[in-house]
Amino acid sequence: MQKYFSIAGLLLLAAFTWIACTKENPVDEDGLLITTRAECYVSNFELLGTDFQTVLTGTPQIDTTACTIKAKVFFGTDLTNLYPQFSLVTDAKLDPKITGKVNFSDLDHPKQYTVISGNRQVRKTYTVYITVQQP
Amino acid sequence: MPVKHLKYTWLLPAFLLMMAACKDDKYALPTAKNGLHNDCIKRTLGPNLVGQPIEFAYAMAILPGQGKIVSAQVEASIAGAPQTWLQNNSFYTNGSGDDVGIPVGDPSVNEGAVTKVNFTKDTSAATLRYYYYIPEAARGKTVRFTFNAKSSNGETVSYAMGPYTISKMDMKLDIPVKDAANCFISIADLTAYNSTDAAASPDKIDLVYLYRSIPNISFNHSLVSPGADKQYLPGVSLPPNANRSTKISKVWNLQDFNLARLKYGVYIDDLDFEKLNISNAPNYAINMKEEAGAWVETADGKYRAYIFMNKVNNGSKSAVISIKRYTLK
Repeated sequence: MQKYFSIAGLLLLAAFTWIACTKENPVDEDGLLITTRAECYVSNFELLGTDFQTVLTGTPQIDTTACTIKAKVFFGTDLTNLYPQFSLVTDAKLDPKITGKVNFSDLDHPKQYTVISGNRQVRKTYTVYITVQQP
Repeated sequence: MPVKHLKYTWLLPAFLLMMAACKDDKYALPTAKNGLHNDCIKRTLGPNLVGQPIEFAYAMAILPGQGKIVSAQVEASIAGAPQTWLQNNSFYTNGSGDDVGIPVGDPSVNEGAVTKVNFTKDTSAATLRYYYYIPEAARGKTVRFTFNAKSSNGETVSYAMGPYTISKMDMKLDIPVKDAANCFISIADLTAYNSTDAAASPDKIDLVYLYRSIPNISFNHSLVSPGADKQYLPGVSLPPNANRSTKISKVWNLQDFNLARLKYGVYIDDLDFEKLNISNAPNYAINMKEEAGAWVETADGKYRAYIFMNKVNNGSKSAVISIKRYTLK
């Protein structure tokens, strides 16, 4: 009887060891899962003011080929304090990260954001062009 | 009987015990304690603002056979404003949920920091409301209260409440503003001046209220400082020397309960003003909607304020605003 317990114990130990040695899913420097997806694009873009309400006058034009985002904001929008929001394809991430308010007031030097695909192999840099509604 | 069966016999009393433990006890009316008793709750929520009341409900009771209540009084550590009073009604809640007052004593009398009601009815239990109107002397300080009740058998009880911190900020409700009329807003004076009065003290004008319906843009109801770019002051003729550049940052979904008096249990307190940082905010706020607000910091850095838009009216080009103001210097 004791012999069977020993064998069962050894089998369990082997199973645990095997599980422990299995290679984990890879993660990047941000601790995000690296997947097999190579898609790399922005699907939607939003700009919020300090009151967390949209400042866009309509749907922004996102050109995934030219990698541009063209957005028009309301007259009087405070361009120095805006919260941009990007919707990305599954598993992709954005660089630089958005951690708070962003200053978009330098219209001659539009902001650029890079989308990185889920497999972290494809990078596309989008340029955000802002125009202000005029009377 | 085999021994192996005997060893399970302990389970039977265990089950019996468990069944007995799960039985509900029969309800019995609680027995009232001897002597005079009291209790108190603070009914007012939010910051304690000068000029506004703090409301308490003070309850006291004694068994009818032991005596009756003869008086109740409250002593505040800082004497309240003259409007302070202790209600001489005791309340009960009727079937509709309304509080109904029954007079039990003479109207209250204020003697310094003490507010007192002498009972005139044979009363063995009562709950009196106390309204402490915060005086200017209490601004920025803490206030404590001692509630006392006395019964005919000579017993006295007391209940201490507090300390409560009194806010440093001021509040002004329902200031009417109208385009091209009383449109010059002074945070220092918490009022809106017309052009004649504004010309007399242009250095006090922090914001201009204006309404414009301009094709292709959403201008509407706006608060713009006199020092802002002229494109944000279309058709406005400013008083001479009115040129202050007030920082203003739009806010949505901050319906402060004191200002809005709506269903939202949100309060702006001194701490919000102390932590506020709008140093890089613009000097104009365009397209303000009803129930929107704006944080404001005056050009001289003396005041921070929150302006709430209670009502807006496109037809009459007017609005009603309420302001909470915190003095920094």
